[in-house]
Amino acid sequence: MNDIEVDILLVEDSQNDIDLTLHTLRQEKLANHIFVVRDGEEALDFLFCSGRYADRNSERMPRLVLLDLKLPKVDGMEVLRQLRANPHTNLLPVVIMTSSKEERDVANSYHLGVNSYIQKPMDFEQFRQTVKTIGMYWLLINQPALNGVTKKPAEQAKP
Amino acid sequence: MKDAPDILLVDDNPADVGLTREVLAASTHHSNIHNVPDGEEAIAFLRRRGKYTEAIRPDLVVLDLNMPRKGGQAVLAEVKTDPGLRTIPIVVFTTSHAEKDITHSYELGANCYISKPGNLGDFFSAVQSIEEFWFGFTSLPH
Amino acid sequence: MSTTAAIDRATVQETKTRLSALLVEDNLADSELVLRELQRGGFEVSSEVVQTAADFRRKLQTTTPDVILADYNLGSWRGMEALEILRTEGRDIPLILVSGAVGDVTAVECIKQGATDYVLKDALARLPVSIRRALREKQTREERRQAELELARKVEELARSNRDLEQFAYVASHDLQEPLRMVAAYTQLLKERYADGLDENANKYIHYALEGALRMQTLVQDLLTFSRVGRNRQRTHLASDAVVQEALQNLQAALQESGAVVHYDNLPVVTGDRTQLVQLFQNLIGNAIKFHGEKAPVITVSAKKLAAEWAFSVSDNGIGIAAEHLEAVFVIFQRLHTRAEYPGNGVGLAICKKIVEQHGGRIWVESKAGEGASFKFTLPACPADGEGNHTDERRA
Repeated sequence: MNDIEVDILLVEDSQNDIDLTLHTLRQEKLANHIFVVRDGEEALDFLFCSGRYADRNSERMPRLVLLDLKLPKVDGMEVLRQLRANPHTNLLPVVIMTSSKEERDVANSYHLGVNSYIQKPMDFEQFRQTVKTIGMYWLLINQPALNGVTKKPAEQAKP
Repeated sequence: MKDAPDILLVDDNPADVGLTREVLAASTHHSNIHNVPDGEEAIAFLRRRGKYTEAIRPDLVVLDLNMPRKGGQAVLAEVKTDPGLRTIPIVVFTTSHAEKDITHSYELGANCYISKPGNLGDFFSAVQSIEEFWFGFTSLPH
Repeated sequence: MSTTAAIDRATVQETKTRLSALLVEDNLADSELVLRELQRGGFEVSSEVVQTAADFRRKLQTTTPDVILADYNLGSWRGMEALEILRTEGRDIPLILVSGAVGDVTAVECIKQGATDYVLKDALARLPVSIRRALREKQTREERRQAELELARKVEELARSNRDLEQFAYVASHDLQEPLRMVAAYTQLLKERYADGLDENANKYIHYALEGALRMQTLVQDLLTFSRVGRNRQRTHLASDAVVQEALQNLQAALQESGAVVHYDNLPVVTGDRTQLVQLFQNLIGNAIKFHGEKAPVITVSAKKLAAEWAFSVSDNGIGIAAEHLEAVFVIFQRLHTRAEYPGNGVGLAICKKIVEQHGGRIWVESKAGEGASFKFTLPACPADGEGNHTDERRA
């Protein structure tokens, strides 16, 4: 438990959205290890290896954090702010995926240093496509920082 | 999404700029490409100085790292610390695979980092993916 | 004098050995006796005499005599103290104690304390022999010291030369990629966009240009990979089945295409760098898949414990390797087949060899043409390696 690899940390409190996201990522074989937390406090505990996750191996950081904004306990914006303020987590790729269309939320997120902001589509198929595109872009195409923690995409051997 | 989004392409290699323009010309987003060859011109463009007083504000910056006069990382440093400019997403698109370049770029606030693939097909895919992701799925600040 | 006497004198003169001696002696008559003995023993002596510890110390600061001859008993101080002074000054000069009758016990004690030898005043004839032996020993010590210095220098030079080479290979391959990419990309565009407008010859030219460019791209990438082996090495305990799993994941496409089956079971924990070891297994298993014969590849990865290391084996049922090529396969860019027969640049095994050797192991292959191949290599075992992880069969 403490040493498991995590490809994506999904911070989401809607069960429907969790199910659809997990299903899509697994179906498209984009990520093997997706860890779900349902509120901002748990997300912070997980990433800072504190509270109930105090024993977690701090070297095992997810390669991507998918973050909803409307969360219980601590909201997504606050999670983002704290992640960017801490040197252990400030280079983590964070993609906000939220139902909010508020221009204020978009602007604030980019100000705080979110990597990208995505509105959750209402349409089932579009939602799937969005998750798939996010997975491909951030796990396969993008190169994350290796500050001792995030793993590089695996070198694929050519047949 | 905007009808015809604007990309500021900061790259001094005309061969790569040519390839990039080719790919984007064929896409449905009809992006406008504005190319500058180094970091100094990039900053001038973004600050609308000198010959760039009429410049538009780009929706996305695609930034090479190794350029004469002012490199990509200097651009990142200036832009991402300026509250008026820091919300513009910057995609670092460069030949360097060096770990220190990747880390440093993120430290300076790059939104993502993509190594230019050596293979033509992969290069085209990468540029297409960049455009598709940022203009087809992402919400951009106004 | 007669001619023979002159010749004798001349011969004796020739064989005289130069010697500078420092005498620590308070008795003038005794020092003269010693010097005469030395001359009789074939030495051409230049000497100085000191009596006190202070004078001795001072003399040491300005001169380096070949030998020190010290009286055991000097009134206010002992010859043994001279030894102590030599030691604190860090001087390697033979010191021979000369004295009147003292018990054998004390003589042994003196030598234990560092005196080169001990000669009695009524047996001075021994002195020249003793001195010659002391000088020989000193020379041997000197020669050994020089050899060690030379060795250290050569090792440092070699290390620097290696670093330079690695740096060169890295920079060269890194900087070569950029213009190469341009050549490959635009030649390919030419081919794709203008093929219809050109005649057969032109298309052929473009085809060969493109092929060359693409091949050079992989060559440079391979060279880069090869030169990178050794940078940022980590040492951790690794479960080798997890390492093999990761390698297999990277080989997904090739495994599916070939229908290859890979068996591995109960592999041990080893010490090493994860990235490098994944590359090692990936290259070996990848080769096993690539060089298959008519049958679908069946590959077995196993391990056997030797004293402080594990001997791994990656065996396949492929085309095998002829006896005369068993060593050449590990040489960089060395290939045994044409590109039309099997793709590749001949870097994979060179990389494997480099990785294994950097882990302190060795790699070799056992094979016969047409009968598959077993690539074997050793890796250091994990020091806290328990026995619980493998079956009895493996304890061969």
